[in-house]
Parts: sequence; C-alpha cells; structure tokens
Amino acid sequence: METAHMGTIDVDGLTKDYGEVLGADDLTFTVEEGEIFGFLGPNGAGKTTTIRLLLGLLEPTDGTARVLGADVRDESELIEAKRRLGYLPADLGFDEKATGERVLEYFGSVQGDGRREELLELFTPPLEREIREYSSGNKQMLGLVQTFMHDPDLVIMDEPTSGLDPLKQERLLEFLRAERDRGTTIFFSSHVLSEVRRVCDRVGILREGRLVALEDVESLLDRGGKQVRLRLAEPEKEFGPIDGVAELETTGRSITFTYTGEYNALLSHLASYDVVDVEIDEPALETIFMHYYGDANEEVEARADAETVDDETREPSAEPTTEETDA
Amino acid sequence: MLEIARYEAERRLRGTVALAVGIGVLSLAFIGFFPSFADADIDELVEAYPPAMQEAFGIQTLGTIEGFLAVEIYQFMWLLLLGLYVAYAAANSVAEDVERDRMDLVLSLPVSRGRVVLETFAALAVPVLVLNAIVPVAVYGGVVAVGESISVQDLAMVHLLSIPYLLACTAIGLVLSVTVSRATVANRLAIAVVFVLFLIESITVGTDDYGWIGNGSPTHYYDPTEILVESTYDLTGAAILLIATAVLVLIARALFSRGDIGA
Repeated sequence: METAHMGTIDVDGLTKDYGEVLGADDLTFTVEEGEIFGFLGPNGAGKTTTIRLLLGLLEPTDGTARVLGADVRDESELIEAKRRLGYLPADLGFDEKATGERVLEYFGSVQGDGRREELLELFTPPLEREIREYSSGNKQMLGLVQTFMHDPDLVIMDEPTSGLDPLKQERLLEFLRAERDRGTTIFFSSHVLSEVRRVCDRVGILREGRLVALEDVESLLDRGGKQVRLRLAEPEKEFGPIDGVAELETTGRSITFTYTGEYNALLSHLASYDVVDVEIDEPALETIFMHYYGDANEEVEARADAETVDDETREPSAEPTTEETDA
Repeated sequence: MLEIARYEAERRLRGTVALAVGIGVLSLAFIGFFPSFADADIDELVEAYPPAMQEAFGIQTLGTIEGFLAVEIYQFMWLLLLGLYVAYAAANSVAEDVERDRMDLVLSLPVSRGRVVLETFAALAVPVLVLNAIVPVAVYGGVVAVGESISVQDLAMVHLLSIPYLLACTAIGLVLSVTVSRATVANRLAIAVVFVLFLIESITVGTDDYGWIGNGSPTHYYDPTEILVESTYDLTGAAILLIATAVLVLIARALFSRGDIGA
C-alpha cells in the first residue's frame, strides 16, 4: 500500500471526456473518513458523472480514484469495496411493478439488511404497495432504507433530499449527522446550498466538470455573504454604502445587495432609515460562483445556468434562514 | 448466488404464465380445427402452397395429426413466433435496465457486470423451460380430446430439442441488448435478425449451391416436422445450438464487462 495519506475517497486527476464536453475535468480531492462531504454544483456540472465514475459505472478517460481503498478501474477490488458502500442515485431505478417489500428483500439478499427494521421506523414507505403507486417522497424513503440497511461505511448520495417534504428533509439531515457521528462517511451531492450548509463539514464546488472550490462550509458562506432585501417607506435615492456591501441595486423603494460584513454594523446602519421590510437570505449558489469563482464572461453563463436551479435553491431554505423584521 | 436471476425471473413470471396460457389455448384451438381440416382434400391444399412455402414451413403431411401439429403449431408458432419473442425479450433485458437507471442500482451492489449478464440470461431461460413444460401437456390433451393419438416420445422431443433453439435466439437478443444502448432499437434489431436468419435458411435450404448459407441460422438445427413426422432427432444440431448459445452469452458478458454503462 502507498505510504501517502489515504482518505475514504481519493480522487486523483479523474477525467471523463465525452468527446464534446468534459464530464469531469482533472478532479483531485479527498473525502476523509467520518465526514460529510458536500459535493455542490448546479445541474449539469458533472456531479452525477463523478459519482458514476466512483462507482465504476463509467471508465475514466484519465486519472483514477480510490473508493474505500479500491481502484475504481479494478472491478474485483471495487466489488469488495461495494460491500461496505451504500448508494442513493438521483433517479431511483426501482422496478415499478415490484412492491417496496420485494425490492428491499432483493437488495437485502445481495448486500445484507441488518438495519432494515430500525430504518423503517424512521423512513416509512408503504412497503406492501407497488412502487409505481409511490410518490416521489415514498420512493426516496425506500431508497434511503436500501442505501443504509447493510450498515455501510461509506454512503454516496446524489440529491438525497429531492422529493422529500420539508419535515422529512429535516429528519434526513438529522439522521445523516447521527450517522456521521457513529463513523459513517457521507458523500453528499446537491445543488441546494442551504442543505449542504446545514449538514456538511466540507464542501467541494463543481462547475462544468471542474472543481472550483474545496473548503470548510463556514468559510465558504463567509465569502458568499448574505443576500439582503430592503423595502423602505420612502424612495431612497442614495442608500449610504457601508463596508461589506456589494452588488447594490436600487429600484424605487426596494434595495437589494450582498452583504459580507458584521450584522451589528448593518443593523445600526439600517436604523437611520424608515424600513418597512427586510429579508436576509442565504446567498444563491450562482451568487457565490459569480463573486468568487467566475470571470466576467463566465458570470453571464453562470447566471444563465443558474436560472433553473434558482427556484429549487431558494425554496427549502426560505423558512429556516429568512429573518423578517418590521422596523 | 443467483439472487439476480431469481428476482429477474420472478419479474417475468406473470408474462411467462400469460404466454403459456395463450399458447396453450391457441394450440387447443388449432387442434380443435384439425378434424374438419383432415376431411378436406389435403393434397390439393398442399399443392396450392408455392414450393418455397412448402419448404419454409415443412408442409408435407398436413393430413396427419403429426404433420398438422408440426406445421401449424411448431413450425409457425414455436419456431418462428416464439423464437422472435424470446429474442425480443432478451434484447429488452439489459438495455432497458440501463435505460431506466435500474442498472446503476444493481451495479452499486457487490456484483460483477459479468454476473449480471449471466444471471439475466438464466432468468430469460426460465420462460423457455416453463413453456416447454406446460404447452406439451396442453397439446397432448388436445390431441386425445379430438380422438387422435400421437407418440409421446416425439412430442417430448419436439419440445426438448426446441430448448437449445430458443436459448440460441435468447442469446442473440442478449448480445444485442448489451451492444445497443436503446432498448427499443435493440429489440427491433433482435426481431429483424432472427427473422432474417429464418428466411435465409428457408430460402437456401432447397438450393445445392447456397445451402451452406443456411447453416448460420439456428432454424437449421431444429426441425419439428422431422421430429414429429419421421421421429428423427437431430442431436448434433442441438449440441451445436447449445455451443453457439454459450459462445454468444460469453460474448455478451465480455462486451458488458467493459466500457461505460448507459453512455
């Protein structure tokens, strides 16, 4: 074995060339044992391609990766590793005509199902029904039970909260934190910044197949700042700028800007205005891209790419992160 | 082992039973038609078929129950239609699982791609075996019911020797299933290939110069008329079909073991 440090996932120059586009472009990063690693990027950035490379479903054009010590290019090594691996794909390909019960039985017969009953108390798909009758949330819960029921050491999840209602999403994130605390490593792919922020220890940001950032969630958010929206009682021509304000836009009585400074400084500054409404929100994913990782040309692209992501990005984050104050 | 095969076979169970019942009922309907058919002037009827048709469907002794079964049920329904069906079903198998994202989940389990292909083939063989267990019973019952008799051994052999033939058609479909990424394209191709092979054999069988071309067709190695009418069993042909099946399945396994899934 190599003397170098080995993580649970070691990605080394991993590249997938589809001819016209690079699905993964020279990716190098390590996922440490026992952490929740957020893999963040807009749709089409190459997250699923990377995951499918890690699972040996795609052959790398160049570079490689090790998953639980197994080279992804070596099928027999990888099969051994898969005994300790759980995978929740973005598109759950369950047999529509089978019941949930039968599907769990099938996967259990191949991979083991020691924690099945325990998980079914937490996630409750209607097992006796055929999967074609399932809502997307039920399907996702069945997928979660399948992913964790053999008590894997590493879990790779592609958009795991999709289809779940906010309550179930919260339950899942809580469950993932508990899993991490008992030593499970979790690779969490998502395009929703707010959920990554709440559950991940570190985050890698993927854009057009390239890793554009790899850092702690806290420092990422500090750099991204907050999105502030103000509504004033009177139209204000000159909103006095303070430190940390960027992207200031004024439209009549509405003012929006990105803020990276201290809350107290902002609040005392606002006290001099007649504020009707204020919202302080998570920065949108594309905002982080635009301000910190994109050049002028790419900004336009990122904005266009992000249009479709935007709604989904905001929706789940709206409740817990928006503070509304009447001044 | 065989968890995948078991599950896949179970998935096909409903279709298999429906098919067995359908073919059984259709066979009985054909047989019920036989007594009035036998009263007609058969020779004239046979003459009415073009010679090529006589060759293609082995129309020789339509007037006897053996000859009648051979043409109406085994040459047409079993050899041609069922051959096409199993090739179609096999072509669907892997390609559709890949297309519907089912394969990603299966391959996230500790199983090799090769094992998935082999167990899929095993699952596809189950309907072939089930049909060959159920249909002969229906056919025999029908024959007895219309007051005719037939050699049980010949009937058993016409089914037993059809198994290598149907497995070969299945293997052709399986190779297409791992080669062509879209299931609808794979299954149409499978039907086309099996049908063309059937035609080639039918057309070339009477010619001296081109007869060898037909050797490439699975239908060349299974002749229900010969079995039922002459009680001649082509065991070498069956062995050749089994070897061809094994080779095709290994090719399918090798093809599926490399490259991207669903790219």
